[in-house]
Amino acid sequence: MICGLKTPGARLALRVKNSLAMSTWLLAVGLLMMNFSPASAHIVPPEELHPVAESYRRASFILNLNPVFWPQVWLDMKRIEEALKVVDPLGARKFSEELVAATRVAQPLARGDEEPDMVAARRNGRRLVFSLATRGVALLLISRIDRIRPGSKRSEVKNHLNEARRVFLAFAETLPHLDPKGWKKMQIHWLEANSHLGAAGVMGIGARPMNLEKIRENTAFIRRYFYSNFSGFRAGKGYRLLPRPKTSETYLKTARVPWRLPPGANINKQLPRPRQILGMAVRGANEAETFLIALGDMAFDSPEIFGEPARSLGVSCNTCHNKGVTNPKLFIPGLSREKGGMDVSNSFFAGHANNGLHDPLDTPDLRGIRFTAPYGRNGRFASLREFVRNVIVNEFNGPEPDPMIMDGMISYMNEFEFLPNPKLKKSGKLDPEKVSKAALRGEKIFHRKFPQMMGGMSCASCHIPNANFVDHKRHNIGSTGAGNQPFHVGGLDTPTLLSSKFSAPYFHNGSLPTLRAVNEWFNRQFGLGLSRKSIDDLTAYVEAVGDGVQGIEDTVYTLDSELEEFKFFLSTYERLKQRKKKELITVLLKTVVREVQAHKWDVQDKGNLPILHDMEKKLSEALSAHLAGDVEMTDSKIADYHALYEKNVDKLK
Amino acid sequence: MNNAMRFIRKLLSKAPGVGFPGAALLAFSMFLFASVPVHAADRELRVAFIPLENPEKLINNVKPAMNFLEKEMGREVRYFITLNYSAAVEAMISKKADVSFMSPLPYVLANKYSGVEAVLGEIYDEKPYYYSRIFVRKNSGIKKISDLKNKTIAYVDPISSSGFMYPHDIFVRAGLVQGGLEKPEGGFFRRVYFAGGDQQAINSMFGGFVDAAGVSQYALNLLRPEQRDKVIAIAQSSRIPSHNVVVRGGLEPETRQKFISAMMKMNRPENRGLLRALYGTDGYIRVDHSSYRSVADMARKYGLLKE
Repeated sequence: MICGLKTPGARLALRVKNSLAMSTWLLAVGLLMMNFSPASAHIVPPEELHPVAESYRRASFILNLNPVFWPQVWLDMKRIEEALKVVDPLGARKFSEELVAATRVAQPLARGDEEPDMVAARRNGRRLVFSLATRGVALLLISRIDRIRPGSKRSEVKNHLNEARRVFLAFAETLPHLDPKGWKKMQIHWLEANSHLGAAGVMGIGARPMNLEKIRENTAFIRRYFYSNFSGFRAGKGYRLLPRPKTSETYLKTARVPWRLPPGANINKQLPRPRQILGMAVRGANEAETFLIALGDMAFDSPEIFGEPARSLGVSCNTCHNKGVTNPKLFIPGLSREKGGMDVSNSFFAGHANNGLHDPLDTPDLRGIRFTAPYGRNGRFASLREFVRNVIVNEFNGPEPDPMIMDGMISYMNEFEFLPNPKLKKSGKLDPEKVSKAALRGEKIFHRKFPQMMGGMSCASCHIPNANFVDHKRHNIGSTGAGNQPFHVGGLDTPTLLSSKFSAPYFHNGSLPTLRAVNEWFNRQFGLGLSRKSIDDLTAYVEAVGDGVQGIEDTVYTLDSELEEFKFFLSTYERLKQRKKKELITVLLKTVVREVQAHKWDVQDKGNLPILHDMEKKLSEALSAHLAGDVEMTDSKIADYHALYEKNVDKLK
Repeated sequence: MNNAMRFIRKLLSKAPGVGFPGAALLAFSMFLFASVPVHAADRELRVAFIPLENPEKLINNVKPAMNFLEKEMGREVRYFITLNYSAAVEAMISKKADVSFMSPLPYVLANKYSGVEAVLGEIYDEKPYYYSRIFVRKNSGIKKISDLKNKTIAYVDPISSSGFMYPHDIFVRAGLVQGGLEKPEGGFFRRVYFAGGDQQAINSMFGGFVDAAGVSQYALNLLRPEQRDKVIAIAQSSRIPSHNVVVRGGLEPETRQKFISAMMKMNRPENRGLLRALYGTDGYIRVDHSSYRSVADMARKYGLLKE
């Protein structure tokens, strides 16, 4: 019985009551397609990765990078050491000693004038540290199992068993590929062991006895596996460090282990999304009638134009430049230093173009990008086309892009508009009617020439108000910290200030969190002598310049706009077919299938999920038909998809 | 102090399913709780939480909701994490806790023997109930539950509603499994496993270690979206009333009413953020013991409750 409809929750209760009829309908239509569920988890919270499993996976990822970001590795190794201290103090002591020795190999000190061989240090150091981490985690798992002794109480056994199983998951991304049979056997032994735990019941009701002998028997198998394969583990000299279980008879030497991003990585899109304004939409054009723009929009969202591992991991331009702007939450341990940026000249995404440095860059906002040449933080590319090609081929390991894709992407990016800013007049000056007095005082400071700043420059010298707040030049303001390098090394492209209020953090490496922090940095760097009040005024000015109308979308529900966008993507199909661009049709269909797969779970009314399953199926069938060269079937399936979408468009939100 | 340390150490050795820091926190919160003077019970509302997730995280997450409760009720609210459902029930019997959070089966058992009473039901997707489902891999060739003859299944725990009793009942009602909960294979399955959690059960099925998983419908969310597409539900249980909030027998009517009113205020849109921390519910609805009659009936059917 549901009661209390006059309570504050009455409205909700009524909705619940009404939903009973709906649920009956759902059951009727849904039983055959019951694999739907809400996007958020209820009742059953996801199990968190054990801190040691998390550290091992992260350290393994970073140790496979060149260069290795050692500070994070040392933190993760410390976590393994701390966990070992709890269950095996002697083992922990040995681990600590070996860690000190490995640290000396990985990060050797200079002896006199002789510089250490850092390449050898990295190669040897990473192997030593990975081997030690693998032995440490195996030891931890074994120690937990060993604590399940004859006579142990159920609660103790349950605790050790659970801890051991969670530590075991440190290997869940590698061992299932390296030794699938061995992994499966161990998983079944975990299930057996857990099933013999019995149950405490509630106040004794429903209690079942524990079978300790069976638990020990089953965990003994797992212990043997880890002891024989990993207690004396030494990583081989291959490039990729993997916990290869060499004594297992079922170990697959040629196994291919897919790359996974480490714990702590976040490549999810920002929600709510930044508000994107496309010039063609402002002009009243329809993207479905602007072929190149629609093609470029599709490519911008497509991991298919990149190579491995970005493609498999689902990374596209849109991952970092969400809706053509930025993704301030993006973070990949070992590649990022601050949220919202990463090292794009690294060994992970494109080994051939690695520059050997850990030099993460803040992801720039692409609003108004056609006005902000040159490109790249150091302005090394004169044209946007050159820059985009470099991103595809050299930063994300993609194949040489089809010229039509390049034309499309440039056409699309040329449509990125700045946010409208009523506070600015066309001259780039503030509208005194629409800003604070502080901002107007700040405008004067912005134009003041400081003798101590790069030969008497003002802020406005580089950020020219009537030229979109850029000067198209590179300046060395000293922000790169390249103190002992030639002066020209630190030159960076002048970024625009337009829409900047929505693109924190700031500077090429994202080291400054706010526009105020930027002003304070300049004040310190050049000894400008600005008072706190003057900094306040200057900040008010820059924030007014960087402001815009609704920088962020006002909803977190994006399915309807995403589906509308997929319609635009698919509008390119006919023209691609006419131009006989078979490979681009493959890219198009793979991209839309992947996007529908990713977004369908966002539907608010889960009763409509079967429609999205069906739409995805039609597109998958279109892709298969296209790959088989069956044009008629491809046409037919795409038409089916459109028909389903049009019929149900109002439900798919 | 030595006694206190011995007490904590003892609790640490007993804490099931939580890591060392979690166990330490849990033990510490129990220690603080145990040291509260008896007369404080007149002034404070004491809330016992069950560690369904990381206890450290839980105790931090619920803080804003407990602050809200304190403000709304105009009295101090103290909260702590118990070791399990039994400990929560025992705390309520001994009046060391006034309210707690329960799942359906433990609740009907506790109600029968301790007098605790459900006053609020959780809401998921606008419904105060959910289902158990039998999930299999799409490529397994298993299309209906009878195809699971001589195969393996993973459930969650022997005392779980959605993770054992209800999915087990699907097979009993279909006439495939004979008998009660004591012999879950029932002459049908080759082996029945208790994986220890919804995630472990559904992952075991997805990984191919067992043929099926009998779990809450929401366990599917624990798979990644691309994994969910490779899984299908082939059967659904009868309706399971949602998890609930219970009050101890003998709680003063005024306190009880104030507590219920304050909790119901969390349904307001501006307070929805507070709910997320309370076991991820979408809201609360008033319930009473009769809402759980179907669970009690099923518990009787399987001999967990006597007439």
